[in-house]
Amino acid sequence: MMPAPASSASPARSPRVNAKVVVVGLVVVLPLLAVLLLILGRDPHSIRSPLIGRPAPPFSLAPVGGGGPISLDSLRGRPVVMNFWATWCVPCFEEHAALAAAARTFREVQFLGIVYEDDESRTQAFLAQRPSSYPSLMDAEGRTAIAYGVFGVPETYFIDGEGRIVDKYVGPLDRGTIAALLGKVKGGGR
Amino acid sequence: MIRSCAACVVLLAIASAAAAQDRATRSTPAARLDAPRGAPLSGAVLDARTEEVGGLLRCPVCQGLSVADSPSTMARNMKAEVREKLAAGYDQEQILAHFERSYGEFVRLEPRMRGVNLVVWLDPLAALVGGGAVVTWLLRRPRSQPGPARAGELAAGSSMLPTRGTLPEEARLAAAVRRVRELAYGWPGGVPPDAPAGSP
Repeated sequence: MMPAPASSASPARSPRVNAKVVVVGLVVVLPLLAVLLLILGRDPHSIRSPLIGRPAPPFSLAPVGGGGPISLDSLRGRPVVMNFWATWCVPCFEEHAALAAAARTFREVQFLGIVYEDDESRTQAFLAQRPSSYPSLMDAEGRTAIAYGVFGVPETYFIDGEGRIVDKYVGPLDRGTIAALLGKVKGGGR
Repeated sequence: MIRSCAACVVLLAIASAAAAQDRATRSTPAARLDAPRGAPLSGAVLDARTEEVGGLLRCPVCQGLSVADSPSTMARNMKAEVREKLAAGYDQEQILAHFERSYGEFVRLEPRMRGVNLVVWLDPLAALVGGGAVVTWLLRRPRSQPGPARAGELAAGSSMLPTRGTLPEEARLAAAVRRVRELAYGWPGGVPPDAPAGSP
């Protein structure tokens, strides 16, 4: 039998866990985990509007069914609730009654519907079946929707008497939410 | 290792400082659309520029599509506004800032190189440099040779494979290995020519 060279030395077993690999792995993985934890709780579709706290973009739009244009400037001094909606939008249909009722309750507030990507005749037919207590305005080229940063419908903007956007609500509104948001508008707007 | 950790710390520090600066920038009101800064465009140039600037704007109602690429009504309306503004002489940055005022930086398909966005721009570069460094290090490090200590470890350890200087303990296997070595290498008796005298 041949002598086994250096067989007397105790064999140094390589460690199963490489410290370098662990450190590099943690350096890569931990920041990613931190970002995930920060972002996971957030709805990716709810992007805070940069317009909140800023002056509401001006507009002058004709009401559905005819009549003189209504501008935001003409409503200065009154809180305004601007609801972007369309007849093809099911959640808009759901919130329609709540908005109409709120407009009757809060008479000091001007409610406005802004028709988003819809046809005037269809809108007229919809409103004939489900009367509204406030005017709806035609935004034919979508300029007002773009100026307000609308992503879809329904979206509702709460504007104080000084013409400043106090809040934006995405999705169908109910009476409680409308009252709560109007409280913010009336509380901080004047 | 220390260098890579330090680089990561520096990157994180830059990102947090940049994020603070970004927050500060966001808190100031966005610039209004002032007087047009460019020349009014028309014809084919206007068409081409409308596509270019529309390509930099995200369609708000689509999934990752630009205003130039999306067939949606919203995108068409935005594109029409881009075209109108280019025809009036507004430059690209003025137009992007105009839409950013309504939609936030989300509307820019290419985030600006500032604040926390720097991470998005610099990360691929950092990954490329880091990856290149790792590959270079792997290629240039000395290959581990089974030296005498390693050979001894193999012989004494769990491996049953004999090395040039060793033979299996079992006599029958040792004889077989010697025979194979004799046949394969022409070593008389299966003993390597450089084996110390007296080896079996």
